[in-house]
Amino acid sequence: MSSPSAEASSSSRTRQPNRFSAKGKNVVMTSHGRLPWYSPEGKNIEAYVIGIAGGSASGKTSVARAILSALNYVPTVLILSQDSFYRKHTQEEIDLAFKSDLDLDHPDSIDTALFAKCLADLKQGRACEIPVYSFVHHQRMPETKYLYGANVIIVEGIMALQSADMRALYDLKVFVNCDSDLMLARRIKRDVKERGRDVDGILDQYLRFVKASYDNFVQPSSKHADIIVPGSSNQLAIDLLVSHIKDQLDNRSLRFRSRLGRDGQSRPLANGKTQVTPSNNTTHTFGDTDEDSGVILLEQTAQLQGIMTILRDCETERGDFIFYADRLSTMIVEKALSLLPHEPHRVQTPVGMSTEGTISMQEDLVGVSILRSGGPFSHGLRRVVRDVPLGAMLIQSDPKTGEPILLSLDLPQSVKNGETSKTVRALLLDSQMGTGAAAMMAIRVLLDHGVPESNIIFLAFLISRRGLTTIRRAFPSVQVVTAAIDPDLYEMHLPLGNAVLGEAAGEGDYSITVVEHDTLGLQRLNLKGDGGDSGFEAGSSLEGYRIDNQNPNQVIDSDRPDSGSGSGFGERRDAGQETWSPTKQQVEELKFSRDRKDSMKEVKQKRAWVVSPGMGHIGDRYYLA
Amino acid sequence: MSTPTISTHRPSLPDGAMVLPPTLQLQALLTIIRDEKTQRTSDRIIRLLVEEGLNHLPVVPKTVKTPVGADYEGVSFQGRICGVSIMRAGLRDCCRSATEQPPYLQILIQRDEETVQPKLFYAKLPDDISERYVLLLDPMLATGGSCMKAIEVLLSHGVKEERIIFLNLIAAPEGIHNVCSKFPKLRLITAWVDQGLDNHSYIIPGLGDFGDRYFL
Repeated sequence: MSSPSAEASSSSRTRQPNRFSAKGKNVVMTSHGRLPWYSPEGKNIEAYVIGIAGGSASGKTSVARAILSALNYVPTVLILSQDSFYRKHTQEEIDLAFKSDLDLDHPDSIDTALFAKCLADLKQGRACEIPVYSFVHHQRMPETKYLYGANVIIVEGIMALQSADMRALYDLKVFVNCDSDLMLARRIKRDVKERGRDVDGILDQYLRFVKASYDNFVQPSSKHADIIVPGSSNQLAIDLLVSHIKDQLDNRSLRFRSRLGRDGQSRPLANGKTQVTPSNNTTHTFGDTDEDSGVILLEQTAQLQGIMTILRDCETERGDFIFYADRLSTMIVEKALSLLPHEPHRVQTPVGMSTEGTISMQEDLVGVSILRSGGPFSHGLRRVVRDVPLGAMLIQSDPKTGEPILLSLDLPQSVKNGETSKTVRALLLDSQMGTGAAAMMAIRVLLDHGVPESNIIFLAFLISRRGLTTIRRAFPSVQVVTAAIDPDLYEMHLPLGNAVLGEAAGEGDYSITVVEHDTLGLQRLNLKGDGGDSGFEAGSSLEGYRIDNQNPNQVIDSDRPDSGSGSGFGERRDAGQETWSPTKQQVEELKFSRDRKDSMKEVKQKRAWVVSPGMGHIGDRYYLA
Repeated sequence: MSTPTISTHRPSLPDGAMVLPPTLQLQALLTIIRDEKTQRTSDRIIRLLVEEGLNHLPVVPKTVKTPVGADYEGVSFQGRICGVSIMRAGLRDCCRSATEQPPYLQILIQRDEETVQPKLFYAKLPDDISERYVLLLDPMLATGGSCMKAIEVLLSHGVKEERIIFLNLIAAPEGIHNVCSKFPKLRLITAWVDQGLDNHSYIIPGLGDFGDRYFL
């Protein structure tokens, strides 16, 4: 699956992890942002889970960290330590623990059920709250730690391979094997230095608990391991391990914005634009199809059309733009709130009469805006519901691939909490939906936190029919409230004006892709002699997602370099059932192993998916003078 | 003009009058402001009223170029407008949030204690008001006395009757009939039609004195 050039580039990578968060053994490494972790159908793709077991002080943590640093290009890697999952102790046990008489080396000291549940949640991409255990208090702390969004999870602990429930969740099981003497020597050194213990106490504990546990439980669990790594002088073993993991990850990587945009026929226009129109009839009006059933289009009154005309007009001044954008967002928010459930409510009026009315069930309402262009909407929402909790997510496009990247996440507390999120009603705010890629990512984030799909309402000034199709197909229960549905989605060449763009060039749903000028010709060449058919074999499938034989348009990227079809930018595509698949030059981009160094080098233009007639870049028009 | 869907318990309305669609959302908002414990939450309904009122202004076709270079066949607002509120300025602030350009003016009409008739105390209107569309704002429509007085003031300044749009939060059927029969060309938009009036000409169930509740 992996091409030699990709291997070469990934091994030459020098970027360091940006951030190690959390003290102690639980480590979250986040890089620049998170690429889609789900299929174009909106289903989560499981995280890659590695279980590392071995005796105490055998070197599990160093193996885990070595893997971590080798994977520094992967968006989010999480090391989950068994230490967090010690059971909640009784007062009696705590007293024992302070006298070093508590056996923490027995499998029963671990809350395996909770551990397996948390790991299963994380593996499925769901947000999770893990317990916090304090070795100072020898007790589980009342607070929990919120974890979300790991693409790779490394579980380490002496009992990591002990339970069958846990083993079932691992994609790779590693046992770190180390000589007992060496382990004891390291243990004494560590405990004296780091935990301030005396040698007698350490030896006593070792002979009573640690040794027995190792011989009876830990060592026998090595039979479940896929690979046994030595606990010292293990660089070669780690290299082998890492290269295996990289292969596995690359096979799962995702890339589908182009697919979302191109999932229809396109025709080149005279002015060098490529127009993509939906594969179904473009001239149909609202309400014709099933996909319109979940869409609430504002009544197209003269006033609304007047507002839309002002907003769409490229000559509208910023002051007017802000005024009418605020007004429109208020109207859309009012419409969305009318979708909330209402209950009867009786009140007494000041003239002394009792009257039957209704009450809107708004206690669980939250607003989450997709930055920046969703920003104007939060003003509108605040104008209508003054005390609604507001969250935000920053989703932008990777400049090289055009993929949406989740850069930052700030969710209301009620969404982060697994208990309360079940009843949350979320208004997801974005000014426009183009390919639908950013909307899909945002919806996926809410679903991962346990917000029911039918409780999500997506609000936008305007949406493209293509984006709507994508969202309706992936998330049929999500309601969409909008003022306009635009027919066209273009991919345009825009001059790359300012260098301020930084690493992420555009907003998620303005979908900007930067193309290096010289590679464009190469890609074109590569397309010659292409029969237009995708060359997929019936029933062939890739790890992580499946090709849908019924509907060839469902096929997303294939990693196979030989299946070249019309993928060139701006290239004419044959009508019908062609699918998009990458050419050889693009295979590299499909990898998790994104090479960032040269992504902005020699870039002369960027590519953008734009809704037409659209409103242009709403965030810029609203915020920039 | 067309009458929107009105739930069956409503009285029939004259041609010039219309009621906002009785959504559950609107009912919930009204429930809040009717509640004697509530203070100042009427802004949202007023905004809905203003938006509906603005819908009755004329538009002309206009084609604009969007930032992506496409042509969009839209419409442009026509005719200048002017907001006039009766007595306290309760509706004015909300009106401003829906449309920014027009001047907002007030007419003070109060009941003359001697004659028991509504009397004009204060009116300052722009010179060109006769060429404008006027959004006349009064939250409560009971018998319609002060509303009709305000309309007379506007007419005497040359405003055309068909260019007056009267916006109202809660109306009694009596008030609607009084206003619409006297000024058949005027458009009246209300959020809700209540049961009627009590012996003191208060709207029931109503919400009490709007001005007092909004400002005091």
